[in-house]
Amino acid sequence: MRKHLLYGAIVFVVVILLFTLLPSVYSNEDLFFQAMVYLALAQGVNILYGFTGYLPFGYVGFFGTGAYATALSITLLHIPPIPAILIGGLASVVLGILLSPLLRLSGAYFAIGSLAASQMVYYIVSNPALQNLTNGPYGINLESVYQPRASYITMIVIVALVMGVVIYIRNSRFGLALQAIREDPVSAGMAGIHVVRQRAMAWFLSAMIAGVVGGAFAWHISVFYPTTVFDLNISIFAIVFTLFGGVTTVLGPVLGMFVLYGFYNVIGISEPQYFQLIYGVLILVLVLFLPSGMVSLMKRRGHYVP
Amino acid sequence: MLTYTIISGLLFGLFCSLMGIGLNLIFGVMRFVNLAHGDFLMLGAFGAYFAYTFWGLSPALALVVEIIVMIAIGALIYYAFVPRLLRSRDPEMLSLIFFFGISQIIQAIAVIAFSNNPRSIVWSALGSANYQVLGQGFQESWVVSALISAIVIALVYVYLYHTKIGYATRAVMGSQEEAASSGINVHRVSAIAMGIGLALASAAGTLSPFLLGSITPNMGSDITTTSFSIIIIGSLGNPLGTVLGGLIYGLSSMFMQSYVPSWANLVPYLLLFLILLFKPSGLLGKVVRHA
Amino acid sequence: MSPKSILVLEKIVKQFGQFRALDGVSLELSAGEILGLVGPNGSGKTTCINVIAGLYRPDEGNLYFQGSKITRHSLTHSAHMGINRTFQVPKPFKSLTVRENLVIADHYAKRPHPPLDELLEFVGLSSLADREAGSLNSSQQKLLDLARALATGPNLLLIDELAAGLNPSELDKVAEKVQYLAKSGIAILLVEHLLGFINSLTKRVIVMNAGREIFEGDLETAAKNPEVNAVYLGG
Repeated sequence: MRKHLLYGAIVFVVVILLFTLLPSVYSNEDLFFQAMVYLALAQGVNILYGFTGYLPFGYVGFFGTGAYATALSITLLHIPPIPAILIGGLASVVLGILLSPLLRLSGAYFAIGSLAASQMVYYIVSNPALQNLTNGPYGINLESVYQPRASYITMIVIVALVMGVVIYIRNSRFGLALQAIREDPVSAGMAGIHVVRQRAMAWFLSAMIAGVVGGAFAWHISVFYPTTVFDLNISIFAIVFTLFGGVTTVLGPVLGMFVLYGFYNVIGISEPQYFQLIYGVLILVLVLFLPSGMVSLMKRRGHYVP
Repeated sequence: MLTYTIISGLLFGLFCSLMGIGLNLIFGVMRFVNLAHGDFLMLGAFGAYFAYTFWGLSPALALVVEIIVMIAIGALIYYAFVPRLLRSRDPEMLSLIFFFGISQIIQAIAVIAFSNNPRSIVWSALGSANYQVLGQGFQESWVVSALISAIVIALVYVYLYHTKIGYATRAVMGSQEEAASSGINVHRVSAIAMGIGLALASAAGTLSPFLLGSITPNMGSDITTTSFSIIIIGSLGNPLGTVLGGLIYGLSSMFMQSYVPSWANLVPYLLLFLILLFKPSGLLGKVVRHA
Repeated sequence: MSPKSILVLEKIVKQFGQFRALDGVSLELSAGEILGLVGPNGSGKTTCINVIAGLYRPDEGNLYFQGSKITRHSLTHSAHMGINRTFQVPKPFKSLTVRENLVIADHYAKRPHPPLDELLEFVGLSSLADREAGSLNSSQQKLLDLARALATGPNLLLIDELAAGLNPSELDKVAEKVQYLAKSGIAILLVEHLLGFINSLTKRVIVMNAGREIFEGDLETAAKNPEVNAVYLGG
């Protein structure tokens, strides 16, 4: 158990060092910021899908809610960015509470139900009828508090916290309990686990992560539209990164993000449709030949994966 | 206004039924959610567009050709991938991700081939007359589309209830194991159902330029969710329940568009969400029995 | 209700739609006692266990455990109160190791029980402790179910078909274990198809049919009962 925790800590240190040092080697801070956003979101999906088995197609709903709650706290309530980001996280938890009946659904029903929920939030936020509150489809401008350096550091802190949480879950009885619930809720109840409560904790935790990340994203990018922060591709990227690396591990989403997002930046930005094509093919290959992700290559050889 | 809304809702609803029925057939037989459903519909729409724009062929003719082609493609996809998926540790989840991959591939190829510009077919391609129904005027294209939808749905009914393979299909929907043990070739039935499911999607696609407006390579994702709402409202795994789902969906979205247009986009998602939460088995669904 | 009864069922009814799975079942069980529950498929044995364990809520009737009424309990509550069970089709946490299966039950049920190593030894899974539960064969998984139930420190153990699929020498060993548990003071309700196995364990058997008890007593007497014979011979 000690040794397992040590491996987790190594992954943690490497990730944080990379994001701290990379901007001074290659000055494209925005790229690394995006990478951190996806890493944190992928870990959020990991907590929910990897440990509890709920695949959240609508995960972006929490991200967008966090971005909007943060931005509106800044513009309307004049709250400084960092507390505003916490409000963003809180807003997503509130959305999570409202949507918690979704947890009664399983499998594809949950996946599509969560998608419908995120689209609902999007259509509400972007509705011209709410222009006085959310500025409707015309987006948000946070240039008055724009501080790219500060928001970058904030994002590093968020990634560190998220990685810490996932390492904890991976090595704790809470994580075991979540996996037990995923495998068999009846047996889990019989083992004395409060199934509904533990599941809800994972759901709120992963909602909060997406909310806080959305808030930091809003601050960093400073000008955005509802379509930017409710873009379904955000959910999809986070899910595919996680699956590609391998769920239920600390390392999987990290590997998945670095490999696929790196790849995306090499060819995806100029030729998105070719990237999408390769992406689609990768997904098929993954599902058909490597359903447990890249880390399963290491697991098959008997190595422990943190 | 009210009569107009009701009649246009019913016409639109018939089209919506056609839009959902293929997804429901595949779900009923295989218990898979075909996330690429909307993308096959998009392919059908582009097929009709090119047939009309380049060769002046009627969308109705394109529809017949597409149905035949899609049955073959569907059966091919089935035999190439599905048996392998069924052997995996979590077929339900992995099939969802699998069809998502297919959807990405179709969208990417469509953007490469057709570019991202929206296209449309002149509404008169399905006839330019203006029908009078109960004193209200309706474009012929709407009436013809609704009529074609009704005919195709009737054919699905004949297939399911009056052919041998249709009986087998319903047996597989009831229980794969029982069907297999009574000598039904489950793979053959499923492959055909997959083909018909995709064919129905593309059939709805040929009519979509008249009912949904201009078409783009990326229109699929929204259509998949809308279709999913429709079949959930009817009842999952019961293709004919889709007709009820489609009519309810068509009526409610016409009412929203007539009376509160700015919130009309919310309708499919709201309906889907509410039905999932309060009656996951759909309006016609049976109560699930334990033990 | 006898004062030493740990479990009392009073006219329990459980209905699924039009189907009455349990139609007024009453029974009592005291600490250290083994009660056999037999009957044809669909007679309501497993439903009875599911109701006691808290998986289903009874539609009518009362349920008492250690003197207090528990008609509205969940599986989790049951585990915390000291009711546990095994499953007809074993349900271990397949991707966790054998030991992790027990660690969870130990940690979340929060009840006193023998050390986990002893429990593993008891069911004969010590050498497989670090294997994934999903890699065990079905009778090993049943034993793991049993060990996991014991790791919650139960006072009442509901055993659903432990013997199916075991060979005669394994059967004897399992019978010994069940005897041992009963001697340690655990009340045991045993659902079983193999009448010989039950007969070696207890003289007190309830025969069920169509959701009702049709006989209570020992198996020899049951064999002479015309109603029991009619049910078993399909007459």
